[in-house]
Amino acid sequence: MRLALAEMRRAKLRFGLLTGAVALLVFLIIFQQTLASALLGFFTGGLEHQSAEVLVYGEDARRNVEGSLILPGTLERVAAVEGVGTAAPLAENTFTVRAGGELQDAVLFGYELGGPGAPTRLSEGRLAETDGEAVASSVDADNGFGIGDVVEVVPGGHRIRIVGLADDSRFAVLPTLFTSYATFEAASRAANPDARDVQASLIAVHPAPGVEPEALAARITREVDGVEALDRQTAADSLPAVSSISSSFQVVLGLAFVVVVLVTGFFFLILTVQKTQALTLLRAVGASSWYLIRNLALQVALVTVIGVAIASALLAIAAAASSEEFPIEADPGLIATTGGAVLVLALLASLASVRRVARIDPFTATTRPTGGGLA
Amino acid sequence: MRLGWKELVRRPGRFIATGGALTLIVILLLLLGGLLDGLFNASTGAYRAQTAELIVYSADSRDSLLRSRIDPATEDAIRAIPGVRRVSGTGAVLIAGRVLGGGTVDLAVVGYEAPNRQVPPPPEPGRAYADATLEAEGVALGDTIAIGPSEVPVEVVGWVEDTRYLAQGTLWVEPGTWHEVLVTARPDAALDEDTFQAALVETTDDAEAVAGRIRGQVPGTSPLTIDEAVFALPGVQAQNDTFAQIIGVTFAIAGLVVALFFALVVLERLGLLGMLKAVGASTRQLAAGLITQAVLVALGAFVVGGAISLALAAVVPAEVPVELEVRRAAITGVGVLVTSLIGSAVSFRRIVRIDPASAVGGS
Repeated sequence: MRLALAEMRRAKLRFGLLTGAVALLVFLIIFQQTLASALLGFFTGGLEHQSAEVLVYGEDARRNVEGSLILPGTLERVAAVEGVGTAAPLAENTFTVRAGGELQDAVLFGYELGGPGAPTRLSEGRLAETDGEAVASSVDADNGFGIGDVVEVVPGGHRIRIVGLADDSRFAVLPTLFTSYATFEAASRAANPDARDVQASLIAVHPAPGVEPEALAARITREVDGVEALDRQTAADSLPAVSSISSSFQVVLGLAFVVVVLVTGFFFLILTVQKTQALTLLRAVGASSWYLIRNLALQVALVTVIGVAIASALLAIAAAASSEEFPIEADPGLIATTGGAVLVLALLASLASVRRVARIDPFTATTRPTGGGLA
Repeated sequence: MRLGWKELVRRPGRFIATGGALTLIVILLLLLGGLLDGLFNASTGAYRAQTAELIVYSADSRDSLLRSRIDPATEDAIRAIPGVRRVSGTGAVLIAGRVLGGGTVDLAVVGYEAPNRQVPPPPEPGRAYADATLEAEGVALGDTIAIGPSEVPVEVVGWVEDTRYLAQGTLWVEPGTWHEVLVTARPDAALDEDTFQAALVETTDDAEAVAGRIRGQVPGTSPLTIDEAVFALPGVQAQNDTFAQIIGVTFAIAGLVVALFFALVVLERLGLLGMLKAVGASTRQLAAGLITQAVLVALGAFVVGGAISLALAAVVPAEVPVELEVRRAAITGVGVLVTSLIGSAVSFRRIVRIDPASAVGGS
């Protein structure tokens, strides 16, 4: 093993460049994974972490909450479907609000207090108990949405007091408030005096005990004209842009993994080819193939581990520098998983070098003039 | 330089590793750039199409078209500002529509009063110009689309190019039809008949100066140049910044990879380079050969990577909005060339330090 370390110490530029390239590639991979995960969480959290297990959309909404409208009479028809425990209106819209002294965009979810649609990841405070109260997404607490803060809908000046915070509950990448349906209606009318009516975006449904959400959603869609019902997870996965974001990041991540494997594999292969004479000589003086392979594997592992460590530090810096509107966090689990995957792939990529080392014939040391042998 | 060229031609295998890695990085860069351009174009077409220099929102809308409202009195006040040539109202609503006899499509229905670069003057009530991307969604010329829950019928009478809004294909309709769609689709966002979400302003004076006058003299307004408005659209600025960072890191990786592999190539040829120095080759000649190789490898990687990217862009799933543009390809090509040159320069020091005597005395 000393051989591997000694070589790395003496060829600092080569191994330094490789480690730098691997570090940046791993950073690229974990940074993109962190971004994608944060982005998807901020897009869907509000819907994914509310209590209704089934969500009913207007048929023409194409699974888009913002585009969904529940027509009068629909709620009663959905409530009458066998297997529905509770059905209640759920409204959603984006408003301009004054929070923390600044104008900001915020999403309001209006639900019937005590009914389906309440946030499920309450981390501090309590749920809204009366009109004019709300639970806010916890990630925005320091941005004017902390417990005790009063948020004012602009224009109109309708005021909402924050009484609780919920984790992982942003929606559409904006600060999100869960408030009573009546508060939502009042905020909508205050913000737009020309509004003709305020209608629910969705119907939030709790299935009756023992009823599977997926089966109930299918039944509602089948039995009620003009609606499409989805279980909560399908609704979150079907939001506009979710599949587009996931697919786009997967393409780029796939390519980044290929580049890291190729760079590491080729580097060690070239290095092995360049060192063939020295390795042959080592074999001739008694070093086993296994010894040489272990040294090679150690170098691959060291380069990868140091690269992952540098990449993790870069990610921590990027997370610390991320904006309040789009905060990201370095996830140790993600780093460990990605680092492990890169290590395994790098070791696999070095198999060509291992094969070349294993096939070295010590006898050829005596036939190479440049190696000191006789031609 | 000839030496570098000849080595590349006669021993191409020596450069396969660098070329292969760089080709993959070029593909990564082009796809990242293509994604950025695809997302940008899909969100901003309706704004980039405008011939008006300014768009005016209500101040409390935070420059969101969907939350803004400009009433006739405000429009008149803007019209009276020196340097304003023409004011027209506009607005949009995001909604789904059902093609009669066909499927359902996501739409942005845009109401407008004045023509722009891509869209002719408003059609008759109940008719629309459709963004050409809707053709792939099953919309055909002459089709009637029933919009929203109240199924407001709109007939497609022409195609317009590059006018998407927030990733939706647009239908451009006259103000009355737009108000009808808005009232039935989003009763909570309904506006009075003569009220629009925003005012488009054509100027006879410097646009920013006129914007300053509007901001100062018409209370409750937020005038933006079209470029500012494009970047104020939800997610556009964040998207651009994020992708710019990722692309920047990828360029840095390209430089490191070239530096790494050329360091190996130079190391492999130290004896040969010493020999060349011994027979009179200057350091400058050897460095020129190295630069030639770096440039040619980068160009080769760009050509091969570009071709593979074009093929990939044609087969990626429809939900990945990749659009490869010549401008992006040129930026990527120049960027890869420059980073390759910088990367190869890392090996200059080693070439400078080669001792010609090593050719006869061993290394």
